[in-house]
Parts: sequence; C-alpha cells; structure tokens
Amino acid sequence: MSDPILLEVRGLRTVFDTRAGQVCAVDGVDVTVQRGECLGIVGESGSGKSVTFASVMGLVRPPGRIEAGEIIFEGTDLRKLPPRQMQALRGRDIAMTMQDALTALNPALTIGLQLAEMLDAHADDLPRRGAARRQAIRERSVHMLDLVGIPSAGDRLGQYPHEFSGGMRQRIMIAIALASKPRLLIADEPTTALDVTIQAQVLELISNLRTELGMSVVLITHDLGVVAEHCDRVMVMYAGQVVEEGPTDSVIRAPGHPYTRGLLASIPRAALRGQPIRPIQGQVPDLIDLPPQCRFLDRCPHADKDCRHLIDMHPAGPGRRARCIRTELFQTERAKA
Amino acid sequence: MSVIEQSPPVVAESLFRRNMAAFMENRLAFGSAIVVVLFILMAVFAPWIAPNDPYATNLFFRLQPPVWMEGGDWAYPLGADSLGRCILSRIIYGARISIFIGAAVILVATSIGILAGLAAGYLRGWVDVVISRLVDILLGFPYLIFAIGLMAMMGPGLGNIILALAYKEWVIPCRVVRGETLVTRELEYVEAARALGASGRHIMLREILPNILSPVIVVATIRMAHVIILEASLSFLGLGVQPPTASWGAMVADGRAFILESWWVSTFPGLAILLLVLAINVASQGLRDAFDPRFTE
Amino acid sequence: MTLTKLLERLVQLVPVLLGVSVIVFVMMALTPGDPIQIMIGDQIVTPEQEAQMRRDIGLDRPMVERFFVFLGNAIQFDFGQSFYHRRPVADVIIERLPATIELTLVAMIIALVTAIPLGVLAAVRKNSIFDRIATVGGLLGVSLPGFWFGILLLMLFAVHLNILPVAGRINYGISQGITPYTHFLLIDTLLNGRLDAFRNALAHIALPAITLGLPMTAILMRVTRTAMLEVLRADYITFAQAKGLSRQRILWRHALKNALIPTVSVAAIETGSLLGGNMIIETVFGWPGLGRLVVESIFVRNYPLVQAAVLLYAVIYVMLNFFADILYTILNPRVKL
Repeated sequence: MSDPILLEVRGLRTVFDTRAGQVCAVDGVDVTVQRGECLGIVGESGSGKSVTFASVMGLVRPPGRIEAGEIIFEGTDLRKLPPRQMQALRGRDIAMTMQDALTALNPALTIGLQLAEMLDAHADDLPRRGAARRQAIRERSVHMLDLVGIPSAGDRLGQYPHEFSGGMRQRIMIAIALASKPRLLIADEPTTALDVTIQAQVLELISNLRTELGMSVVLITHDLGVVAEHCDRVMVMYAGQVVEEGPTDSVIRAPGHPYTRGLLASIPRAALRGQPIRPIQGQVPDLIDLPPQCRFLDRCPHADKDCRHLIDMHPAGPGRRARCIRTELFQTERAKA
Repeated sequence: MSVIEQSPPVVAESLFRRNMAAFMENRLAFGSAIVVVLFILMAVFAPWIAPNDPYATNLFFRLQPPVWMEGGDWAYPLGADSLGRCILSRIIYGARISIFIGAAVILVATSIGILAGLAAGYLRGWVDVVISRLVDILLGFPYLIFAIGLMAMMGPGLGNIILALAYKEWVIPCRVVRGETLVTRELEYVEAARALGASGRHIMLREILPNILSPVIVVATIRMAHVIILEASLSFLGLGVQPPTASWGAMVADGRAFILESWWVSTFPGLAILLLVLAINVASQGLRDAFDPRFTE
Repeated sequence: MTLTKLLERLVQLVPVLLGVSVIVFVMMALTPGDPIQIMIGDQIVTPEQEAQMRRDIGLDRPMVERFFVFLGNAIQFDFGQSFYHRRPVADVIIERLPATIELTLVAMIIALVTAIPLGVLAAVRKNSIFDRIATVGGLLGVSLPGFWFGILLLMLFAVHLNILPVAGRINYGISQGITPYTHFLLIDTLLNGRLDAFRNALAHIALPAITLGLPMTAILMRVTRTAMLEVLRADYITFAQAKGLSRQRILWRHALKNALIPTVSVAAIETGSLLGGNMIIETVFGWPGLGRLVVESIFVRNYPLVQAAVLLYAVIYVMLNFFADILYTILNPRVKL
C-alpha cells in the first residue's frame, strides 16, 4: 500500500474497427496517477481522453477494443483480470462519473435504488443479509446524499432522476460513484452539462470529497481553466496521443506544446492576462491511416518541414514532458516575456 | 446545405437510386422480391401455366395424393381436392385473387390515405380535426373484426372484400402521410414555393408528395402482406370470394374436413400464402432498411 | 398520475366510443335485406302482424332516433333478441365471453413470456446465429396464416401424435361437477381442486392459444429487440457497468425496464388483433367462444348478435388502449399524463 503510484497505464492502444478503416482512438498513451492527487486530462472531443479511461474501466464496447498496453492498478494488470473480478473492481476501487447525469442515471429507477444497488454490490462491511442489511444500506444512502449536499435526503430516495435539478442530479451521480469509497474517481466532464454557477459548486464538492475520502481523481475536461484551479498535474491529449504533461502551474506558466498554447489562448477568462481570445484554427485530423508526422501539423502556426516525421515525448523541465521539437524555444520565449 | 434544400426533386431522384442500389445489395431481400415477381407472373399467366382446368371436377380423382406419394399421378402434381379438382392449378389461379385483392386494396387505401393525409397535414385546421377524429375512431376497431362485420353486412363478393378491407386500411397510410407532411411543410423549399405564390394543390402534390413517397411505399408493401393474410382469413371463414372461385383461404377451409386422411388439400394452399406473404415481408423489410434509415435496427 | 388527469383521459374516450357506436349502427342500418323478413323466416304472417313487428322494434322511426335508442340500449347492455337462440343477445354473449377472454389471456401470456426474453437475448447477442434465427422466426411468425398453422398443428398433435384433443375447451365427462366460480376453466378446475380437469383444460387450450399468440409473439420479439438495442446504447447502461453491477442486473433491471415501455404499447395494440384472430382460431379449433359464435351468426343472419359483438370488441379494444396508456405512464416515470 505504500506504493505512491495508484494507476499506471503504459503504451495503451485502443482501436475501433469501422467500415472506413481502423480508427486508432488511443495511440500509445502512458498515464500515471499518484495516490491522493488530482490529475487533469485536457483535450477537445476526439482527442481520446474519454476512450483512454473507458479502457482503464474495461468499458470499451465493440467495435472498439484494446489492442495493446498495460493498465496496472495497485500492482495488478487490469487487462489480465478475469471479467468477474474486473466487474467487482469497477465501482468498488475505480469509480466513474459521466458528463451528463440526466442520461447517466436510469430514468426508470428511483435514485434510492440506484444508490442502494451500488452499495449492495460492493460494500462488504454491511450486515450480510435481511432487514439489518437493508437498514444499513438505507442509512449509508442517506449519508452519501447528505455528503454531497442533497437536502432532506431521506425523503428523496423514492424520487426519480427527472424530479431533481441539473446540479442536484450531478451531485447524486457523484454520491453513487463514491458510495463504496473508491480509491480512484474518474470524473468525465463533470461540469460540461451544468450552469456556470453550479459548475464551481460541483468541482468544489469533488475537491473536498477527495481530501475527505483520501482518493485520487482524474478530471477529464476540455477546459484548461478548470484544471488550473483544481488539478495538481495536467496531461494534454491530442488526436489519440499525449502531447504534454507536467505539474499544472508549470505547464500553464510556460506551455511546451503549441496545442497547449492554443488551448490557453482560447480560454475565455479575464484572469489570463487580458489577451484576446484566439480559438485554434482547423479540426482534429481523421484518425484513420495517420501519416508518420506530428499530428498537430496542419493546425500549428509554427510547423515546417522538420515536423514531418514522428515525434516522441521528451523531457521538458522538472516532471514535465512534451511532444514537440520546439518546446525549449517556447519555454525561453515565455520566460523572456 | 442550401443547394440541397433548393432542389429537392434532383435529390429525391438520386436518393431513390442510391436507396435502390442499397436494396439490391441486400441479397435476401432482393431474392424475396424476385419470388414476389414470380408469384405475380404466375397469376398473370395462370391459364398457360396451370396443368389442369382449376374448375374441372372429376370424382374419380377425388382426394388423390400428390405425385410423390403412393397413388399419386403426374396429372395432378399436388393431388386433388374433395371434388377431384387439381390442387396445383387451383393454387396457380388462387394467386390471382390474393394478388389482385392485395394490390387493389393497397392501391385504393394508399390513394385515399395520401389525399387525406396531405390535406390533414398541410391544411391543418378543421380538415385535420375531422380526418384525425375519423382515424381515431376507425382505429378503435380491431381490423379483422371490422372487416368481418362489413362482409357480414355487404355479403360476399370481390368488390365487397376490397371495400371491406380498404375501409380501414387507408387510415394507416393517412397517418404516415400526415406526419411526414407536418414535417415537410415547414422545410425551406416548401416555404419558398409558398412565397412564390404556388397554389396549395401544387405544393401538396408537386412539392411535398414526391419527397415523402419513400415511407409511403415502404408502408404500402408491408401492409400488402397483411392484406393478403386478411383476405385469406375472410375466405377461410367463407366470407371472401365465393366458390367455386379458387382462393387460397377457401381451399384451406375445404381441406379441413379431410385432415385425417388427406393432409395435402389444406397444406399446399396454405404454403402458398406463407411463401408469398413471407417474400413480401422480407422484401419490404429490405426496402425499409434501404429507404428509411430511421427505422433501421 | 393524479385522479383528475385520469378522469380527463376517460372523458377523452367518449367521442371515440360514440364514433364507434355510430359506425356500428350505420353498418347495420345499411345492411341489405329486411330484418323483419329475416325474423319472420318461413313463418306465415299477415301484413298487419308484420307492421306491428316493425313498430315493436322501432324500425318505423327516423334513423337518428333509432340511433339514440340503440345507444341507450347498448349502454344498458340491451342488444335485443337473438332470433336464432330465442334469448336476449346479451345473455348469449355473456355466456360465450369467458371462453374467449380465457383464450385471449393465455395467448397473450404465452406471447409476453416468450417474446420478451427472446427479444432481449437477440438484442444482447446482436448479429449472432441466435439473433438471425430469431429474426427469421419473427418474420415467419408474422407471415404464417393463423388458420392454416392451426390446422397443421391439429394434424400433427391431435391426429398423428394423438396427444392433444382436436376441439373444445374440456372433455364433457371430466367437466362434470365443477362449480363455475369464475367461468375461466383453468382457474375453476384449480379452485375445485380437480387437477385432472385442469390438465384436460390445459391440453385443450394449448394449441389454440399458441396459434393465436404466435403473430403477437413475433411482433413483440421484434419490438423488444429494437428497444433493447437502443437502450443498451444509453449512457445509463455505461454508468451501471461502471458501478460494477452484474450483467444480469444491468440487462433485466436497468435495460429491460426502459425497453418494456414501447413493448407494452405495442402489446396493447396487438391484443386487438388477438380479438380479431379469435374468430379464426376459435373456428379452427372448435373453441366455444364469442368469436366462433359471431362467425356462425353471420351465416344464420343473426345480425343483432353480430352488431353487439362488433361493438363489444371495439369497446374492449378502445379500453385496452386506454389501459396501455396508463401502464405506459406507470412504467415511464418521466411521462406525466
């Protein structure tokens, strides 16, 4: 248990076989999650950030499949785990919340049932069976809803998801995900579907619960601003690859990849030096039959002929790595400014 | 986008061609369509194909078994019925009744359904209220019961069967057309036509109708299979075309009395119904998959 | 769902039921042939007697007035005399109704119990051999003419194998001494503690119920399969998997409850076709129910009975759709009537 690394993904490759060809949604991704830390994963839709963690959870659906890589969670390779044990591990050790609680909660079942079945499946510290177990599950359910700030929780167990507001639903989903005290929470776009005011509350809630329950959090988002506020480390993904990673402060202060720079420039926040918003031009490339060259090439303002070959991740300062031949140039440029 | 919306007829045509191509690729559906065509040819050329006169009775050959059984004879390949009539010939002639009634009912019902549906969907207002109410009420009757009730009232006969089935059948295309019209009338090219001062009749028949035909055709083929079974059911009950006219449903009914010793009398005509209806169903499902991706499972 | 909403929906049924009665009435009024002549048959009556009969049943009144008399009587379940049975039509119908309802219910139960699991399995194993067989079976099921399939079953099971009876509801000898509490033989035999009679009744109902239920089974299987396929793509299924729930629970609890919503609607509509199918199936299997009675009545020109039965079927059908709507809202908590 003393191992500081909770999850280590090495060389993950997840592909989808489609009629047009093989789409390589995740191409050689490495991720490390430390105990107790909050890791931010940033990228636009199609960058492979969600598929990476669906792979970790073992929830890639056909026609998708994991083609290569190791997913080591607390010393065991999850890819080698038999399905039953993987099922038991999901929810108990690694939990996940989804982007939109309205679609993630089953509309036809009460939230009480959706909470209780999670506890029933995983909580080993409850009485074995009978009324005592039911009572304990109910108490734990109420406790979880209290924890995420649902008022008069006991009375609301019998209600259906549509009877709650958007923010409340998001809280309920978090309560369900955390019900069996997982060690890792994967929060996939936890705020995208919410109003701005509620976004802050939900992120605050996740941060607080992280400290309270002592778990690690992977925060998947397309909003670098959210990462800046809540994550210890950040990993930027583009077109199925990691393009930059490192401690959040350092990455934001001096990004080492033009894509990260572009993301920073497109954040609509006054806090970031009053510069004009500059959205990144162009689109994510088609992930079928990519040429062996920098994937950001078509959209990069700095690209030239030197970028027309495969580019590896390389060290870029303390705890940092980036996938660009001009990283140092960017960093010195930023240091001068 | 704007190009598509301004020139619907061209798009409709190329879409039709692409859909047909998709349909051809579905080998099972295409094969079934060929079976249906064969049945139609059989009906049309019945007098040249049938080995015997379907009405010629010959008590000497009464309940003769089919050719491959003991006592069978090539003169009556599928055997003979209780009056010594050639079962194969009667099945070949029976195809005429089934296909004619099926096609006639669908034709009448679809024409009425298109007109009523267009009127309800495009004109809205009281026209829509009246038509939709009528549709609701007719939907209140289980289909076969309504048809049986009508046949009981009107008495048997070819025209009456078509009438009895079409009476309710039009409701189905009507609902489809109305729904599609409600959507289509709001599209840009229809509004453009309206802005240019096109008459309501022109818009309904020339602008909207060509673009909603696909689902109508798909529904019509699916329903045709239904109508053929309904006709056979009515004939089976003795409420369809009257003897001695050969009709598959009536032939099955005739054989009921002899299932103890002569299974073939009932079995073969029923098999014909099954084959034709199955072929239509498979073909129409292929048509649906190719033409209307919304329904694709 | 509140009581007022329920009442509102009930009130909405009135115009439909009224329209249905108008059509049934007009259907009869337009019947060629004089009902009086039919009543008289071969008896010799004077013109005065004939006129008197005409007045007795109100045939000399204007159509509109006759309609309201018909409607008023129908509401009191008075459909006049069945000339053929020399008893009130209502009595004859009530006597035959239980057999028809019993057959319809058993057919419905067979359809639901087989179609739903098959549809679920076909969806789960999409494109497998099982799915293909189910699809072909489904197409076969809707293409089989019931009257013919019934005869084939009779030939096989009753004639050649001689393991099931050819016609009727129960053997006359066995039926003696059974008190008809409910008039449903399957229930009455059990209530009387007569297992032998129950088995006999079951043997009688098996073939007609299977034949009657077959098209409905095929249709419901298809609907369930399509609905399941759609539901299985939903986010809440992914979330349920992420919770680490068992496959069985996800399928039968999370997915099926949502997939059943369209299935139930279709089931109600299809029950209407069972009502129609009764006429055919009861004729094939000599089932002493209302359907066969109607068919027989047509041939003896017993029109009041046909009229009453058509109206009754239509009313039952409308009510079925009404109950389906209510069931729909119970299954689907999002819909408020």
